[in-house]
Amino acid sequence: MPKESKKRASLNQLISYWGVCMGLRAGVMIAWRSLSRRKIKNLSAILAITLGVTLLVGIQITTDTLENSFITSLLQNEGEVDLQLANSTRGGYLTAADQESIALLVPDAIGIMPELTIQISALAASQFDPTIEAAGISPDYPEAFGAFYDWKTGEQIDINALLTDNTSILLSSNQAEKLGLNKETRLPVPVTTEFTNFTIAVTINFTSGQPIITPIQEIVRVELQVVGFYDSNRPGIGSQYSGAVFSLPHLQDWISLQDPLRETDLISAYLIAFKADHFIQEIDEEYLRTQIDLLEDAIPEEEDPQTGDKAKIYTVTSTRLNFIDLAGFFITLMSTMLSSLGFLITLTGILLITNVQLMSVEDREFQTGVLRAVGANRRGIFQSQMIETLFQGLIGGVLGFIGGMAFGQAVALYLVGLFGTGAQSVQPVFSQEAIILSFIVGIILSIITGILPALRASRVNIVEALRGIKVKLKAKSGRNLTTIGVLLSFASIILLLYNGILEKTHQVFWTSAGWDSLEEWRYLMMGFGLFTGGIGIILSRFMDRVKAFNVAAVTLWAIPSILFVVAMGKWVTDITEFSIEILILGIAEILIGSILFIALNLPIVMRGLRRILITIRGVKGVAQIAPSLISSHISRSTLTFAIFAIILTLNVVVATLIPTSLGTVTKIEEDSHGIDLTIKLSKPEAILPDTSYSNELAAIDSRITDVIGFKTFHPQQDFTKFIALNDPLSLGFDPRTDLLPIRTGEFKPEQIRGNASDSSDPDWRYAFYLDGLPDGVRESLHSEVTDEEILDLSKKAWDQFFDLQYTMAAYNITSDLLAVLSGETDLADMQIDPGGSDGPITSGGDSLKGVTPLKDGEGNIIQNPIIFTDSFLLPIGLQLWIPMNTSIMGFTNYQAFTIGGSLDSQRAGGFPLGSGLHFGSGRALDGSGFDDILGTLYLPERWANQTDFLGEANGQTAISRKSDQYDAYLIKTTLSIDDPELEDIAQAVEDFTNTNDEGYRLLADDNFYMASSTRTYARIETTLKFTDRITSFLQIYVTFGLVIGAVGMGVISVRNVSERKREIGMMRAIGFPRRQVILSVLLELVVLGIIGLLIGVVNGLLISTGFANMQNATLIIPWRDIGSYLSIIILIALGSGTLPAIAASRIPPAEALRYVG
Amino acid sequence: MKNSIETNDKGSQKILEINNLHKRYNEGKTNEVHALRGIELTVHKGDMMAIMGPSGCGKTTLLNMIGHLDRRSAGDITIDGVDTLTLSDGQMTAFRRDNIGFIFQLFNLFPFLTAVENVETPLLLTGMNAGLAREQAKMLLRELGMGDRLYHLPTELSGGQQQRVAVARALINQPAIILGDEPTGDLDSTTSGNIMDLFRRINKINHQTFVLVTHNRWIAEKCDYIVHMTDGKISGIEENPLIRRQTKR
Repeated sequence: MPKESKKRASLNQLISYWGVCMGLRAGVMIAWRSLSRRKIKNLSAILAITLGVTLLVGIQITTDTLENSFITSLLQNEGEVDLQLANSTRGGYLTAADQESIALLVPDAIGIMPELTIQISALAASQFDPTIEAAGISPDYPEAFGAFYDWKTGEQIDINALLTDNTSILLSSNQAEKLGLNKETRLPVPVTTEFTNFTIAVTINFTSGQPIITPIQEIVRVELQVVGFYDSNRPGIGSQYSGAVFSLPHLQDWISLQDPLRETDLISAYLIAFKADHFIQEIDEEYLRTQIDLLEDAIPEEEDPQTGDKAKIYTVTSTRLNFIDLAGFFITLMSTMLSSLGFLITLTGILLITNVQLMSVEDREFQTGVLRAVGANRRGIFQSQMIETLFQGLIGGVLGFIGGMAFGQAVALYLVGLFGTGAQSVQPVFSQEAIILSFIVGIILSIITGILPALRASRVNIVEALRGIKVKLKAKSGRNLTTIGVLLSFASIILLLYNGILEKTHQVFWTSAGWDSLEEWRYLMMGFGLFTGGIGIILSRFMDRVKAFNVAAVTLWAIPSILFVVAMGKWVTDITEFSIEILILGIAEILIGSILFIALNLPIVMRGLRRILITIRGVKGVAQIAPSLISSHISRSTLTFAIFAIILTLNVVVATLIPTSLGTVTKIEEDSHGIDLTIKLSKPEAILPDTSYSNELAAIDSRITDVIGFKTFHPQQDFTKFIALNDPLSLGFDPRTDLLPIRTGEFKPEQIRGNASDSSDPDWRYAFYLDGLPDGVRESLHSEVTDEEILDLSKKAWDQFFDLQYTMAAYNITSDLLAVLSGETDLADMQIDPGGSDGPITSGGDSLKGVTPLKDGEGNIIQNPIIFTDSFLLPIGLQLWIPMNTSIMGFTNYQAFTIGGSLDSQRAGGFPLGSGLHFGSGRALDGSGFDDILGTLYLPERWANQTDFLGEANGQTAISRKSDQYDAYLIKTTLSIDDPELEDIAQAVEDFTNTNDEGYRLLADDNFYMASSTRTYARIETTLKFTDRITSFLQIYVTFGLVIGAVGMGVISVRNVSERKREIGMMRAIGFPRRQVILSVLLELVVLGIIGLLIGVVNGLLISTGFANMQNATLIIPWRDIGSYLSIIILIALGSGTLPAIAASRIPPAEALRYVG
Repeated sequence: MKNSIETNDKGSQKILEINNLHKRYNEGKTNEVHALRGIELTVHKGDMMAIMGPSGCGKTTLLNMIGHLDRRSAGDITIDGVDTLTLSDGQMTAFRRDNIGFIFQLFNLFPFLTAVENVETPLLLTGMNAGLAREQAKMLLRELGMGDRLYHLPTELSGGQQQRVAVARALINQPAIILGDEPTGDLDSTTSGNIMDLFRRINKINHQTFVLVTHNRWIAEKCDYIVHMTDGKISGIEENPLIRRQTKR
């Protein structure tokens, strides 16, 4: 720009500022001029605000979307159904006539659909699935429930045209895949099933002349024809049914076979939908809850003519709501984790905005000084700065809003891949309030961050500003600040004394017991954090501020570091108290402490850097300039490296999660004690005269060394076999919330001990670790307990488990699960327990210490037989009731038990049976069923024998089982756990069992047997895949932070260069080669990036060490990732700095020297 | 009036030769400014020359051209026998570092470096050992009476002190030519006098050539020659007989 026009521009600017002081209207005009003339500077400020708001809005949308997608993917099986109304008599049917009265009860419903369901056995080709759910669909079902879509063509299916007779069925694509069919399979496919034909034969007793009624049950085998496959992943009715679909009247025909009177007016339930397209809308939990409450009140009562008891005529269930409740339990963990990550990432956006605003003021201090000198008042300067900031905030806010939306959409697309449930099931959730709030917060933030600099601008000392003297912190604090310090210290003392003095269940901090629980740490961290801050401020009145605050910074950093590195898993052994607030508090203190420490000592660090660089030929000029530049702008430099410090801390933590969990899995591999395969039979093995399934398995391959058979049972939909978490005979018992479909299983001494008689005999068949122990054993736990001791204690616990005389007190504790289901616990207040009872018991954790045993009405302690579990939702000491058998009167008999032990799914023997990894399911927590999460309860043989589903109980029911009639098998082989040849053995087992009229089916004379065989290693892989999915999602989250960091650095670099034109001109004038000019600019960015990286790596590893200690895993440092972060940081710095630096170095020095900012 | 000026000390070595130097800003545009219009100037080693003229006559532009801080539009500049047109940007930078020292009106010190750091920077750019550079810089600053202000930042120094630091930075490499753009412009007359005496002393002892742009007749009169400029041209040269005589003596 020629000198004259430059001068004119400066004059205009000056006049502009002056104008602002004259009035608001002029101010707006002038601010606009300033905006349009200082293009690069304003653009960079707007870009920073845009990024900040994008983060706020984007993270909000992402978190909401993820939650919604997670629930949606879980709810997919529900289709559009909001709730079901069934006959309140268990097992009873409704009729077509009920539809009318139900329609009156739910006036808001947009769809009411009758449904008839039944479990059928089915045989297609040589594959078998024991439990296909068959549903009868009304030929004119309401539109609200959506449509069936062809699996292959995607076109809508006209069910009336296809389901023309009672042998025609549609099969879901999920079911088809299970049966080994695919889209190309030629239709129709024959499927064999069985129905029971119930008839009554009436004969006349010739002697008495009385009629004799003889019920006859005959199994009818029917060949059904699959006439079409519908896509189960398409939202709507297709996703609601995962088995076979009949036309309602046809299925009614089949079911009526069970009724000698051949009544066909049978409806299992009426399904109600309150809205369509559940998959693309946010789930409105409150609305649903209200509707259910209204409905429950409206359902009329009926009086039992015999007892006079009144009961509602319909039962309302909402699987959707139950899922939401259950999912909420897990989502609380995920969403708090995401929110906290989001919060930290958003913080970087705030830092970026502040940084740019601070630059603006520093940049204009001279001009501000001139303005003040020519008579502009403080208010005027403040106003002009604020108007400009407001403009920037609005433009940046709108752009950021759009950016955030785009970000949310992109994440939603990614989530489709993550959950694999089809595009329609994952929609970005634009929760209006949240987004508008983020948007407003973004703008307010940009304004607030503008206020401080504007205030600073309006308060500049005219002389100092004109002379270019930078505002410096005073060396010592004033009286006001000292008072704040005293107040902080006082507050901190209260916090520190909270432990042990105000809160008696905690211990005081001057004893070692005061440092052994996470709740104590919460107050310790807060207390020491405030204390050091307060003391730092007080000390700074009497000594150099840098020294005073150094002590505060180090303490702030050290306290949580001690928690993560030393205390976690060693002093603090009970990690069930672990909560996200403690995590955030710890991370925040570590971050603030480390950033403050480096900021305070930046000049020293830079002197060190200069000392090193100055010895290198060719960069001596750079050594002279760059480090001095960094330490001369401490606030700006700190804000820059702080952005990277925060983001990289999170990146390193996330990067460490994968290898550390891999390491955990590797450990589990070693600990699986030779169990290479698990086999699950579709039904209990046949009783054969000369052999057993175990024997046959052992003979399949010579490398099989041991086969351990188990009995397991899954109640499926049969609620008479559900476990009760409350006394079923008590008044407060609510079958809707107190009954759960938890699986059961049986342990026999020979399965665990082998030939060993008790724990004193070392030769056990299987080293089965427990991590929760019964009374009498648990008390022996002490700190620093070794693996060997745990195994020894576990063996003692097993002795008690098998001891028929042993009983254990029931304790006054409730299950988290029950609390959530019954609505007693507010999810937000729940303690997050990532390891659950599966966590390691590395030291003295008598989890029931101080908990009172339950007493009966006479004051006696309730003692029950014990059971073991692999469910992390059911704590040791909990009393629960297992249905044993059905009385002659048709009532279920329950037996109370106390949970006496939990299998250690992280360590050694517990793993193959551990939670989430059940026999035969071959899948981990992929969201496909909560039954997996609920876990399994294991009974000793004596009690198992009293159930009619695990043992013989009263003998003759269809599901009674002989003592060695197993259905699940652990197989040991001579091969190592990850040997690919295990797949051959697994295949051989399936071939042996699953081929019609051959192998086991021939032996048992039953083609309905089916084995699924899973390699233990495959399960690890599945778990890993799941961990990997979640981690990769987190990775995206934190990578976005890196992108922000990159763009932020670009902004800072452009600003730095444009503001330092004059210095650059000077450099060129006194002989700096262009190369060194460019290097100086780049070095500043690289150095700040690397400082951020170092802080991030150190802090990230500290925090990860805590996680690893918590899981009792070995921390595996992801050096490769850290290396790649280093490269990324350097690339970011070089990428964002090179262009501005080159451009600057090309400006003729004479022009650069004329630059006045 | 002729445009070609040569200082009349025919016996000494030519340090600077300028032939037909032109500078146009915004070349080819409507707002083109022809700042220098065919300057011819020869300066000999050890000369101390002042350039005077009204504002906008092209004094600073000429100085920038001599110092190669800006690109010329046409013409030749030879410094110490080197035709600078033949030098690449890198070579020119090194040449400038080794042969030309600058003193600016606004001092132009690095605000984030201390006095001694500002002064030692040109030495570091030559690759000199940092310790040695520091010692030389301290020595020079002490010589200039700044021994007690070595570690002060420019903003902590008075105008005269800042200018002494700027002088030290210009001198530290012992350049053949020292260019000063209103080197005493912001200073009071006493301080200005002191600075000029300093220049004179250095000029006398080291035989370094000074080319100073000034408005101030009193300052100009402390030089051997005064070159007058008007509208981008040299309008005349004036020898300072008193000074010349003193110098010769």
